[in-house]
Amino acid sequence: MNLLELKVGEPRLIKDFSQNQSVYFKLLSLGILPGDEIEIMGKAPFGGPISIKHGSQTFLALRRSEAKQIEVES
Amino acid sequence: MLKQVEATILLIGFPNAGKSTFFNILTGGTRKVSNYSGVTVDVGHGDIESNKNEGLQLKLIDLPGVYNLIPTSYDEAVTVQSLLDLNDYHQADKVVVLLDYQRLEASLSLGLAVRDVVGDENLVFVINKDDESEINAEMREEIKQRTGVQTLSTSALQNNGKVLDDFLRTLSYANKIDLKNKLPMTEESVKYFRKTPELDRISLKSDTEISSTINWYHDKSRDVLEKVIAPKNTKAKITEKIDRFVLNPFFGGAIFLSIFYMIFHALYTWAGPVMELVETAIGGVGELLTGIMPEGLLQSLIVDGVIGGVGGVLVFLPQIMFLFFLLSLLEQSGYIARAAVVTDKLMGYFGLNGKAFLPYMSGFACAIPGIMAARTLSNPRERVATIMTIPLITCSARLPVYILLIGTFVPKQTVLGIFDSQALSFFFLYFLGSAAALVIAKVLRLSFFKGESGNFIIDLPLYQRPSLKAAFMQAWRKGKAFLKKAGTIILALSIVIWVLSTFPKANPDLLVGKTEAQVASISLEQSMLGTMGRTVEPVIKPIGMDWKMGVGLLVSFGARELFVSAMGTLYALGDVDEESESLRQRLINEKDPVTGKPVYSLAVAWSLLIFFVFALQCTGTMGVLRKELGSWKVPLIMFTYMGTLGYLGSWIVYTYLS
Ligand SMILES: Nc1nc2c(ncn2[C@@H]2O[C@H](COP(=O)(O)OP(=O)(O)OP(=O)(O)O)[C@@H](O)[C@H]2O)c(=O)[nH]1
Ligand SMILES: [Mg+2]
Repeated sequence: MNLLELKVGEPRLIKDFSQNQSVYFKLLSLGILPGDEIEIMGKAPFGGPISIKHGSQTFLALRRSEAKQIEVES
Repeated sequence: MLKQVEATILLIGFPNAGKSTFFNILTGGTRKVSNYSGVTVDVGHGDIESNKNEGLQLKLIDLPGVYNLIPTSYDEAVTVQSLLDLNDYHQADKVVVLLDYQRLEASLSLGLAVRDVVGDENLVFVINKDDESEINAEMREEIKQRTGVQTLSTSALQNNGKVLDDFLRTLSYANKIDLKNKLPMTEESVKYFRKTPELDRISLKSDTEISSTINWYHDKSRDVLEKVIAPKNTKAKITEKIDRFVLNPFFGGAIFLSIFYMIFHALYTWAGPVMELVETAIGGVGELLTGIMPEGLLQSLIVDGVIGGVGGVLVFLPQIMFLFFLLSLLEQSGYIARAAVVTDKLMGYFGLNGKAFLPYMSGFACAIPGIMAARTLSNPRERVATIMTIPLITCSARLPVYILLIGTFVPKQTVLGIFDSQALSFFFLYFLGSAAALVIAKVLRLSFFKGESGNFIIDLPLYQRPSLKAAFMQAWRKGKAFLKKAGTIILALSIVIWVLSTFPKANPDLLVGKTEAQVASISLEQSMLGTMGRTVEPVIKPIGMDWKMGVGLLVSFGARELFVSAMGTLYALGDVDEESESLRQRLINEKDPVTGKPVYSLAVAWSLLIFFVFALQCTGTMGVLRKELGSWKVPLIMFTYMGTLGYLGSWIVYTYLS
C-alpha cells in the first residue's frame, strides 16, 4: 500500500519509492531511505499536501500525488 | 603598516543549519536568518571580527544551504559553484561543514560528500544546535575516528559563536584547498549553474548512479553516528502538538488567515499613535524654525523643502520598523514553512508551486530579496512566473503611501461590528496586490510559461520561540536603513523638488492684487516643475489627478517613498495657512485654485492607491530583475504590464467613485 492510504498517526516502514526520479531524489536528499519509519501527521484541506514525520525528530510535507509514490509496509 | 595575510573559510551546510547565524555572530554581518530552509540564496563575504588586529585576517563566506552536492535549484548551484571554483580565483583555506544536530544523520551525509571532494585535512565538522551540550568529547572523537575529520559541537545561540571563533583562530592556514576529486553531476543539475562548469571539474553520471551515491552517503553517515545520541525530542513533541492545529484540515486555513489579518491590522492600528507623535514633533520643529528664521528663500528651503519632504516620509518610520518587527517574529517561529503547506493547493490553482509562498512572503518586506529568493524554485517556468509577479506583492515602500491616503481620506467607521474601515481598507490593498499576483501568474502559466509543476517536498523546521531581541534588532536595522534613505536620496530629491518648484519666479505683474494663497499657487504653477507637471496633466486627468500628483507619480518611479516626500514639499510650498502643519492636513485643505473645491476626494485617494498597488515604481527592483533574468526584456514587459494595470485600475475606481 502507499503512504497516502495510511491514516493519520499510524507509523509504518517505507518499503520502496516509485520511479519518479525527482520525487525519489528529493526524498533521498532529505535522508529518507527505504526501511525508515514514517507517519502522517496531518492532511491539509481541499486535497492539499500532507505533513509527515520521519523517524522521531524530522518533519516534512509533500503533495498527495507525491505521497502516492511512497510504498509502505501494510 | 604590515600587509595583512588573509585566510578564507567557506561555510557549507544543510539548509537551516545556522550558517548565516554563525556568519553574523563572527563577522558582525546582517545576513538574513530565519527558521525555514532556503533563506540564503547568494554568497556573503565578511571579515571575522575577533582577529581584526592580528597578523592574519580571517574571511568567512556564507553560502546557500544544500542537501548534497547535486544542485536541484539555482541557489544550490551557487554553493556547488563556489566549491568548483576553489582551484582558481575563489581560493579558500578551510571548509567548515555545519551539521544540524536536529538532523544530524542527513547533514553528516553532506559532510562526507564534501570530504570526498576537498579532503579531510582542511575540513572541519561543526555540529550546531547542541543547545544542551548533549554531545560529549567521546562522541566527537568517535566521529573524527570514523571520518578523519575534526569535529566540534556547539550551539550558536547558547555559546554565541565562541567555540567556532576560538577554534578558527588556532588553526594553521598553510595551504589552499585543492579539489581531490571531480564532482559527480547529472545532466539536469548542470543546467542550474550560471556558467556551465568546466568538464575537468565534474563527471557526468546517470540519475541512477547519482541516487545510489547519495544513498551510499546516507548509509555511511548512519554507520558513523551509531554511537552518537540523538537530541532529546522535547522540541519535536512540541512541534507535533502545534502542527496538529496549524496543519489541521479544518483550522489550518483559518489560522493562516487570522495570522495575516492580525499582522496587518496591528501594523495599521498599533503604530498609529507613535506615528502621530512623530508627526507632531516634526510639525513642531517646522513651526519653531519658521519662527526663528527670517522669512525668505532659506526659510522656505528648510521648512518647505527639507522638513516638508523628508519630514513627510519620516513620519512613517514607526510603521516600517513595526512591520519588520512582526515579520521577524513570524519568520523566526517556523510558521512560514507551514504557511507554504497550507497555501500549496491554492498556489497550485494559479500555476505556482507552494514553495513560491516563501519568495512572496519576502516580497512583503521588499521585492528585491523576494525576487532573489525565487532561486529556490527548481522549475524554471514556475520561477519566472513567480519573479514576474513578486513586485505586485505589497512591499514596505508602499506602506507610507497607503497609510497617508487611507488615514486621511477613508472615513473611520466600524464595519460588520468588529472591523475598522481604515484597517480593513489597508488589509484590502495587501490582499488586492497578492490576488493580482496570483491571477497574473495564472495567465503567464497558461500562455508563455506553460508546463508541469515542480515537486513540493519541503522541510518543516522545529518551532522555536521567537527572540524579541532578534526582532528588535531587525526592526532597528531596517529603521536605520530607512533613515539613511531619508537623509540621502530623499533629502536630495526634496531639495531638487524645492528648487524646481521655486524657480523661475512668477512674473510679478501676475501677482498684483492677489491673496496670499493665490500668490503661492500661481508661483508654483509658473515654476519649472509646474510647467513639467502641466505637460503630463492631460495623461493623468482621466484618473482624477492634478499636476502636483503627476509630479509625485513621476518621481515615485525612482522609489515609491519619493511620492510622499515630493507631495510633502509641494504642498508645504503651496500652503500659507499657519494652522496646518502636517501633510495630512495640507492634503485635506488643498483647494482647486479655479473652482475652490477640495482637490482630494475619496475617488482621487483610491485612484492613487490603486495605482500604487499595481505599478512597478522601483529602480532597484528593475536592476535586480535584469540581473536575475539575464536581460532587459522581461523587466520591461513587467514594467509595461504593471503600469497598464495601474492606470486602468485607477481609471476604473476613479470613474466608479466620482
Ligand atoms: N536551537 C538553535 N537554533 C539555532 C541555533 N543556531 C541557529 N539557530 C536557528 O536556526 C534557524 C536557521 O538559522 P540560519 O542561520 O538562517 O540558517 P542557515 O544555515 O543560514 O539557513 P539557509 O540560509 O536556509 O541555508 C534560525 O531560526 C536560527 O535562529 C542553535 O544553536 N540552536
Ligand atoms: Mg543562511
